[in-house]
Amino acid sequence: MKEENKSASGKVVGGVVFAVGFIGALVFGWVIGPDLLYSQKAQPINFSHVAHQDTTCEDCHAFRPDGTYVGIPKIDKCKECHESQMGQEKSEQILVDEYIQKEREVPWLVYAWQPDNVFFSHAPHQAKGVKCESCHRPVKEEKVVPYFYENRLTGYSKSTMKMVDCEKCHAEQNGSNNCEICHK
Amino acid sequence: MAGAVGGTLLSPLPWKLTDDAAIWSQNWFWRPSPARGEITRKPTVCALCEGGCGVQARLVDGKRAILLEGNPNHPVNQGGICALGAAGLQFLYAPYRIAQPLKQTKRRGDPTGFQPIAWNEAVGELAKKLGQMRADGKPNGLAGITRRRCSSMDALLNQFFAAYGSPNLFKMPAHADSLKLAGAVTTGREAPFGCNIEDAPYILSFGAGLVEGWGSPGRMQAAFRRWRQGGKSAAKIVQVDSRCSTTAAMADRWIAVPPGTEAALALGIAHLMVKDKLYDAEFMADRVFGFEDWTDSQGKNHKGFKFLVQTDAYTPEAISKLTGVDPAKIRELAKEFGTQKGAVAVWGQPQGSVPKDMYNELSFLALNALKGNIKAGGAIGLAPEVPLGALPELPGDPSALKGLKQLRLDLASSQKGPPPVLPGNNLHGFLDAVSNGGKYPIEVMLVHEANPAYGLCENKLFQQALTKIGTLVSLSSYMDETAQQADLILPIHTAFEGFDDVIGIPGAPYAYYGVCAPVLKPHLNTKAAGDIVMSVAKQLGGSIAAALPWASHEEYLKKRAEGLAASARGALADKKGVELWKLQPEEAVKPNYKDGADLWKKLAGGACWYDAPVDPLKDLKTESGKFELAAQLLLAKGQTGDDDQVYLPHFSQVPPRGSDKDYPLLLVTYQMSALADRDLANPPFMTKTVFDFILRQNDQFVEINPATASELGMAEGDSAVLKTPQGEVPVRVHLYAGARPKVVYLAQGLGHKAYDEYIKDKGVNANGVVEVQLDRVTGLGTVWAARAHLRRA
Amino acid sequence: MSDTGHSEGKLRYGMVIDLDKCTGCMACSVACQAENNISFRADESNKLRSITWMEIYHLNNGKGYPDYQFAYLPRPCMHCDAPHHSPCTFVCPVNATTRDERNGLVTHIYPRCIGCRYCMVACPYHARDFNWWDPAWPKPMESMLSPEVSPRMRGVVEKCTFCSHRMMKARSKAYLDKADLEAVEYTPACAEACPTKAITFGNIRDANSEVGKLIKDPRAFRILAKLHTEPKVYYLSGHEWVRKQADNVVKG
Repeated sequence: MKEENKSASGKVVGGVVFAVGFIGALVFGWVIGPDLLYSQKAQPINFSHVAHQDTTCEDCHAFRPDGTYVGIPKIDKCKECHESQMGQEKSEQILVDEYIQKEREVPWLVYAWQPDNVFFSHAPHQAKGVKCESCHRPVKEEKVVPYFYENRLTGYSKSTMKMVDCEKCHAEQNGSNNCEICHK
Repeated sequence: MAGAVGGTLLSPLPWKLTDDAAIWSQNWFWRPSPARGEITRKPTVCALCEGGCGVQARLVDGKRAILLEGNPNHPVNQGGICALGAAGLQFLYAPYRIAQPLKQTKRRGDPTGFQPIAWNEAVGELAKKLGQMRADGKPNGLAGITRRRCSSMDALLNQFFAAYGSPNLFKMPAHADSLKLAGAVTTGREAPFGCNIEDAPYILSFGAGLVEGWGSPGRMQAAFRRWRQGGKSAAKIVQVDSRCSTTAAMADRWIAVPPGTEAALALGIAHLMVKDKLYDAEFMADRVFGFEDWTDSQGKNHKGFKFLVQTDAYTPEAISKLTGVDPAKIRELAKEFGTQKGAVAVWGQPQGSVPKDMYNELSFLALNALKGNIKAGGAIGLAPEVPLGALPELPGDPSALKGLKQLRLDLASSQKGPPPVLPGNNLHGFLDAVSNGGKYPIEVMLVHEANPAYGLCENKLFQQALTKIGTLVSLSSYMDETAQQADLILPIHTAFEGFDDVIGIPGAPYAYYGVCAPVLKPHLNTKAAGDIVMSVAKQLGGSIAAALPWASHEEYLKKRAEGLAASARGALADKKGVELWKLQPEEAVKPNYKDGADLWKKLAGGACWYDAPVDPLKDLKTESGKFELAAQLLLAKGQTGDDDQVYLPHFSQVPPRGSDKDYPLLLVTYQMSALADRDLANPPFMTKTVFDFILRQNDQFVEINPATASELGMAEGDSAVLKTPQGEVPVRVHLYAGARPKVVYLAQGLGHKAYDEYIKDKGVNANGVVEVQLDRVTGLGTVWAARAHLRRA
Repeated sequence: MSDTGHSEGKLRYGMVIDLDKCTGCMACSVACQAENNISFRADESNKLRSITWMEIYHLNNGKGYPDYQFAYLPRPCMHCDAPHHSPCTFVCPVNATTRDERNGLVTHIYPRCIGCRYCMVACPYHARDFNWWDPAWPKPMESMLSPEVSPRMRGVVEKCTFCSHRMMKARSKAYLDKADLEAVEYTPACAEACPTKAITFGNIRDANSEVGKLIKDPRAFRILAKLHTEPKVYYLSGHEWVRKQADNVVKG
């Protein structure tokens, strides 16, 4: 009996240990681990999309005539309006003092950054009616830019779209999945 | 434990880590990742050679240049590009660029002795030295060598040397040197001949490397495209060549002759044309002097070309003996050439870097004269002058005049034999005079963009001269063989970073002007060569500063363009479809630019200026007022000889040094379009395209005929030693059926002793084993062959 | 799909190289290197180890002096269009190289390539090269690297892509301009650079295109046509001895 008890209590203890380990590992695996995997980085300047509502999206994020896409505009674009400071914002002051006057590009962290071997063109996606928000975060109401999470192992952004997602959509939309469509 | 494992397995972490590890393994962080950005194109004119091609640089965000492409709107190359141009940015980003001014602090040539020096100090030091020389009354102790002969930089150097008071400015040798003098002899105008080759229906080429470049590779390739449109031969090309060169292989017919006998064949053809009356009799009678017998101003009678060429020396049988070409074949060629309307004879090396013997030039000109080609509307013309803004008149400063009164060193110092009657750009003669302790010492030598220590034929002449030269100042972008020997290095922009220009296209009969505009900002501490010369002039002050009054090189070029606009001549080719070869001589081209500023803006934007060819027989400045086949200029200059042939085109061949017994073979070097030559090192992109039967590891191959190889007991790939009276080099042997028996062929452009691991020590430098013969008429250093010996290593 | 395994379509990019116009100037090969970030090494004379997407061969008529003649033959990837597979795509164990059924391009993903080099063995044209070393550029020349093509890594195979990145750019423009995607035209770097315009590029299924007409020229031939790899690179030569060598076999 004693032995059974022992074994029963042992089972309980074992079960608890197992549960602790199991739950601990789950918590670590689901919650803590992934966070540890990424380093949190702040953008060099807090860019407020809300503050730029007097312009249209295309004023800054436009297609070039050759079919390529501007993406995040270069400092010359910022300079068109912010040659000298317009308001009281601290972030604008940084922009003017540190970048525009010193003729430096702002080292923006690109959330949807893809590695060198990926070719992505916005033109066909726009032509097929893919909304910006399906891949990028909605920014219209955004006052504060979110942190950029960089994978410590790969250096990728947390929001980097994976190949499987591209392939899935291409397959569904009867797009080509041949190498050169997405790789260069 | 098991729980942790189970939990971990049920969480996404391991899968995520595996995935990330896979991604990590695919991204090799040590591999460069090219920065992305907007891709733009900036048109300009290429200055890597003198060809004047329109190119455009592809830029990323206007900051990095990634590729040089042909400009489709440019009338010279019409969108195409050569290998050197396509690899051109490898010069801009070359690791062997010189990043800042350097001063040699140890022994000359010691690479560890170079110390960085500030620009103002470097320029100040040079100005001080030059000022001292002038104060001492020895401005003629300054000498210069430049590569750029058809540019405003050349004019600027001329101006500086004249204002300073030195007659000793030379250019790297070129075919244009002897062509110009041939122009002076026959027409009284010292301008090189050009050929309207694009529209020629029949081209008889005497060793001219047409598709290998021939002055302007871009132009010649575009012409070749016209000749071979749609699989048809719009132009029949007959190539006279000792080796199966690319032009010979691409030609409709290849006539194999021994090296150096091309002019003999030309005169053999002339013989038959005269005999069979296949020449333009009207033209010869009305416009040509010396075809018939002639009388000079002293009343002395001389034989004419008609008589000379019909002598026994030029019968098909005699020429056959010389050239090995069957007499029947010579007759056939003469008939073809004589009867084909618009047939033209051309000659000269691919990149035109070697002058020719005067009588060679005259022989080929004679053949064209017989065809009546040398007239308005004929295929052969004289390069027209480009009416650019003139440089300020020199005030005639006494110190400068004193220096200029001194004869140029090569003429002042007596050479072996009499001095040439019609001296040209005799760099070889000059270097020879320096090394033999000429009449006066050379204290400072400026070398601009040139690399004579490597690229001059018989380059040891430069090395020998250098030991007698006080200070060598290099204006170079690259640490080349010459810069390595310098005492002071003033690094200059490459053509992609600063303004430069190209005046005229070598070998073309029409007028041309193009501006090389910077495509991006300089990334090293370099300056434009013009700016350096100007700041030296400013420091010297007085009449020298006044002679170079511009604020900058760019300003100077602008002024030149303003002068061009003021002439109200010519037009800009700023869109596709301008066909320069369709321009008629003396045709009035309507200017399509508003004023000087407008012209400059468009020139700097990559468009080129052009104007019609000139009538080569208009306002002839010869004594007879005609095209002179009998050169009265040579008579006037005191040319003497046993008979009248010294005034006429004739075949003469100076035998190479050495004896047949010691050197049973002949060495001939050749140029390839895929090997940069002379003043530029082969960029790595081009080295990749070099065949493994030309270069294998560091071994360069010589081409010999299989029959010659078996006589020598050699097989493909054997190591050997090539010896000429100039020196010996280790080579390997490539059996090439396109090589003439008993002749050894060696490609030019390899064998550098400077630069980086991609260039250095690969192959042998052909310039070190070739032989230079000074032309008796002009003193120019000509090259045709050297006697050679090949033995097993 | 047709019974040959080809998808029906109007588009097949192909190239015609006129050997009578090729002067061996090497501009195509050099432009290709610059366009595609092809790495180079100090010694490039071992042609089995050297990476060259556009390789120029030197052919000759086998005769002696002075009847000797030679011709240059530039060789890009043939982008074989054989039913179902090209030789290289057929053997790739990891699907790193595939042929696009819609336009006929044979392309290759570098990160997926495991470097087994089966494709190199399979290719009868020697069009594929292997990265035996880490690609490394002299530091200043890294500025010349194009962002339009990714630099490769050691251990993968690479080859001519017909400048597919240029096609993708042209397609992007077509999308933007709402133009017909099947009518997209573009020019690879080699054809653009060629100073004699010996290289023509376009849709060989379009009989009215320049290439469509040229492939019907009596001078036209393909290399090793008897293997039925259906190369999409055609050559033109007026010399019979050149055309003959296209189907040469090693004499046993």
